[in-house]
Amino acid sequence: MTSFLPGRRTLLFFGSLLFALYVLAPIAWLVSSSFQSEAEITSVPPHWVPEQPTLENFAAIFQFSEEVVTYENRKQGDTATGGFIPSTAVNLLPSMKNSFIVALAVVVLNLLVSVPAAYALAKIRFIGRTSSIYFMLSTRVIPDIALVVPFFLFVQKLGLMDNLWALIITYLAITVPFSIFILTGYFESLPDELDKAARVDGCSRLQTLVLVYLPLALPSLVAVVLFTFLTSWNEFLLALMFTQTPASQTMPIVVASFTSDFNISFSFINAAGVMAIVPPVIIAIMFERYIVSGLTAGAVKG
Amino acid sequence: MARIKFEAVGKKYPNGFAALENLNLDIADKEFLVLLGPSGCGKSTTLNMIAGLEDVTDGNLMFDDAVMNTVPSHKRDVAMVFQSYALYPHKSVYENIAFGLRMRKYPKDEIDRRVRDAARRLEIEPLLERRPDQLSGGQRQRVALGRAMVRQPQVFLMDEPLSNLDAALRISMRAEIKQLHQAMQTTFVYVTHDQAEALTLADRIVVMRGGVVQQIGVPDEIYERPRNMFVASFLGNPPINFIEGKLVDLGSGMAVERGGLRVALPPEAALKVQGQSGRDVVLGLRAEDVVEDPSPVADATLSGRVAAVLPVGSDQFLEMEVEGSKLFLRLGKECRYREGDNASLTINANRLHLFDKQSTQSLLWA
Repeated sequence: MTSFLPGRRTLLFFGSLLFALYVLAPIAWLVSSSFQSEAEITSVPPHWVPEQPTLENFAAIFQFSEEVVTYENRKQGDTATGGFIPSTAVNLLPSMKNSFIVALAVVVLNLLVSVPAAYALAKIRFIGRTSSIYFMLSTRVIPDIALVVPFFLFVQKLGLMDNLWALIITYLAITVPFSIFILTGYFESLPDELDKAARVDGCSRLQTLVLVYLPLALPSLVAVVLFTFLTSWNEFLLALMFTQTPASQTMPIVVASFTSDFNISFSFINAAGVMAIVPPVIIAIMFERYIVSGLTAGAVKG
Repeated sequence: MARIKFEAVGKKYPNGFAALENLNLDIADKEFLVLLGPSGCGKSTTLNMIAGLEDVTDGNLMFDDAVMNTVPSHKRDVAMVFQSYALYPHKSVYENIAFGLRMRKYPKDEIDRRVRDAARRLEIEPLLERRPDQLSGGQRQRVALGRAMVRQPQVFLMDEPLSNLDAALRISMRAEIKQLHQAMQTTFVYVTHDQAEALTLADRIVVMRGGVVQQIGVPDEIYERPRNMFVASFLGNPPINFIEGKLVDLGSGMAVERGGLRVALPPEAALKVQGQSGRDVVLGLRAEDVVEDPSPVADATLSGRVAAVLPVGSDQFLEMEVEGSKLFLRLGKECRYREGDNASLTINANRLHLFDKQSTQSLLWA
C-alpha cells in the first residue's frame, strides 16, 4: 500500500471532521436547546451555547405538576412567552419506566429462548435443522406494518390491549429470529470438540451450554442484548397500535404526543429527547468493545 | 472391569450415508486396542459411539454385558483425549483438569490431590495457573491427557492425539502413552491413521476401511499375514510392492509369471493354489524382503533397471523397473548400484504374499 501523501491525509482528516460534525450537530443542538427557554431557541443566529441557561424544561419533566390553564394565567399557555409545557408532560417519566420494563423483559426472555435454540441449531444435527434457520429468518422479511393487523387481532383476542405484555410478546416475535441468527453463527464458530469434551467430562447438554459455551459467547450475547434492547426501546408502530392509555404507553409514543397538542414547545421536546437517548447511550458506552466483535464474528461464517 | 462388545453395530446418518456396517468386535479388559485406517473409514465414529457422542443406529454396544446404546455420555465412565485437545479456553490448566471431577461432585481435597498428582506425573506442575492459549502444543497435549487421567475411567479413549505434534515429540509421546497404559491398567481404545503408531502401541489392531472391518489381530499378524491387499498396503513403510501376474504350474511347484519374471512359490503356498494355473494373481513383496545376492537363484530373482537410488542414512532405497512395474526396495548401505544400472536382486520367497486379483483377498491366509 502506497504511503499517504500529506495532501491526502489532510483531505481525509477534514472529510472525517465534516462527517463527525454532520452526525453530532443535531445531538449537540438537542442537548443545548434543552437548556434554553423557548424564546431563546427562536433567536437568530441560534445560540449553540445557551446564554441564559434554564432548567425549567427538566423541571417540568421531573415535577408532576399539572398546570390548569385559567383565564388569569392564559398567557402562560402561549409558547411565545416561553412558559408552555404540554399537558402530557407528566406522562414522560412513567412512559420511560414502561419502556424500560418492556425492554428488560424482552432482553431476558429473548436470551432465555435464543440461547438454547442457537446451541441446538449450531451443535445438534437434527432433521429439519437448516430449514428451521431459514424459516425463522424468512419471518423477518415481512414488513412490520403488514403484521399490525394480525398482531392486533391476536392481542385483542388475548385481552392484552393496553397492557405491557402485548408489547413484550410482539417485540419478542420481532427480535428472536435475528438473535437466534447471530448466536447460531457465533456458536458454530466455537469448536465442536469442546462440546464433546464437556459431555465426556460429565456435562449434560444444558450444563455444556451454560458452563462452557456461554462464557465463550460473551461478545455475541452482548450484541444480542444491545440489539434487542434498542429495538424495544425505539419501537414506535406496534406501541402506537397496542397502547391506549398512559398506563402502558412507552416513551416514543409520549414524546410523539408532545407535538400533537395545539402548541409546540421545542425546548421541552428536546429536553424529552435528551432523556430518551440517555439510557441507550449509557449502554452503548458500557458495551462498546463487544459490539463490533460480537456482530462480525458470526457473520464471517454466515 | 471394562470389556466392550460391539454386536452387529451399524451407524447410518439421516441422509443415508453409512459410516459403519456390521461391526463385531470384542475388546478385552485392560487391552490397548488401536483402530487403524484412512480418513473416513469409521474409526472415529466407532470411538464416538463408545464415548456416547454418537448414537448407535443398528446393533448393540455393550460394556460388561450391559447394553449402553441409550446411556448418555456423562453417565458412562469413559475419558477422552481429542486430536485438537479441546481444552476449555476460558479456564486455567488446573480448572481444565479438575472440570470432570467437579462435574461428578468429587470432594475438593480429592480433586486437588488428583490434579496435582497428574500434573506431577506429566511434568506440567508449573503450568497449572496458565491459560491454554499460553501453552505450546506439547504442553496442551499433556493437559488433555491429565484431564482424562484424573478421572481414572474404565475406558480411555484417544482420537489421533499425536497428529498435531511434530515428529520428535510424537515419538517420545508414544512411549509415554504406552507407559501410561501400563501404569493405569485400563482399557485403551486408540484411533490413528499412522500405521507405525499402531504397530508400536497396540496389543491388537483393527484395520478399517469404508466403515467395514478389514482385519483384526495382533500387530505381528496384521503385518506378516494380511488378509487382503488393502491391509497389506496400509501397513509397512514404504508400502508393499504389488506385481500382477498369472499362476503357472512348473511341475515341481507353482509360480507366478509376468513377462520375463518368474517367481516360484514356497511349498506351503504352492499347496494352497495347486491346480489353479492361469489364475490372475497379485504378488506382494515388502521392500525389505530382497537381498543383493552375487549368485542369482533360479525363479527367485528380480531383474530390472534401477530408476533411482535414495539413501536414507542407515539404508538405501532402490526404485526399480521390473516388467513394467515400479518397485520400491530397501537394501543396505553397502549396495553399489547406481541409477541406470541393471540390477539383480534375490527375493526371500518365504515372505511373499499372494492375492487374488479380482477379489484382492489373500490366497495364503484366510
